[in-house]
Amino acid sequence: MKNRLKVLRAEQDWTQADLAEKLDVSRQTVNAIEKGKYDPSLPLAFKLARLFDTPIEAIFDDEVRIDSDKSMLSLTS
Amino acid sequence: MKTILNAICSKGLPSRDIRNANKVNILALLWAFSLMLTSYLSTQAWFTEIPIAIAFLLHTGIGITMVFSYRHFLIELDEMERKIQLDALALSVGVTIISFSSYSILDKNGILPELDSAYLIALMALTYMVGIISGRLRYR
Repeated sequence: MKNRLKVLRAEQDWTQADLAEKLDVSRQTVNAIEKGKYDPSLPLAFKLARLFDTPIEAIFDDEVRIDSDKSMLSLTS
Repeated sequence: MKTILNAICSKGLPSRDIRNANKVNILALLWAFSLMLTSYLSTQAWFTEIPIAIAFLLHTGIGITMVFSYRHFLIELDEMERKIQLDALALSVGVTIISFSSYSILDKNGILPELDSAYLIALMALTYMVGIISGRLRYR
């Protein structure tokens, strides 16, 4: 899943290790999330949203939802 | 090569997780050692009912402690590492069941020698290790 985590982290001037410590996960987990290799659990996504004071939708790009919206549009047209 | 070594050594895991993992590893070694010792002692003449009962209780006790220790390790583990562990366990159980069922066909028909349970444990351990390393490499 694509996300803006790297940008948000850079805005706060935090390293991956800093963010990992704040989230109580390993640095590898932060790295994997940023690269889109690992999708975080819902509690971790909420934790991220609270930490950056932004909605989950503003951090993670739900491509499935966009695709389904497109398919809905094609059905209605 | 360095990435593979880091994956094997679980580099980057929080110290709490490494501490818990080491507890599980020590218990696993003790469990294997108690099995080896019992197997050796069973060849001795004096190894009768009471020593067998003690060895049984000791080996089973270590095994149960190891299972609870592994459960505690999984609960406290970082969520991505937990996913890697569960994927590796699923691979290990799946491969062992499929291998056992396939082997049993050849075993029952006398094509291959009778299956030794030690081979199953070794196969489970090996596939579990392969699963852990491939999981850690996948998410790096």
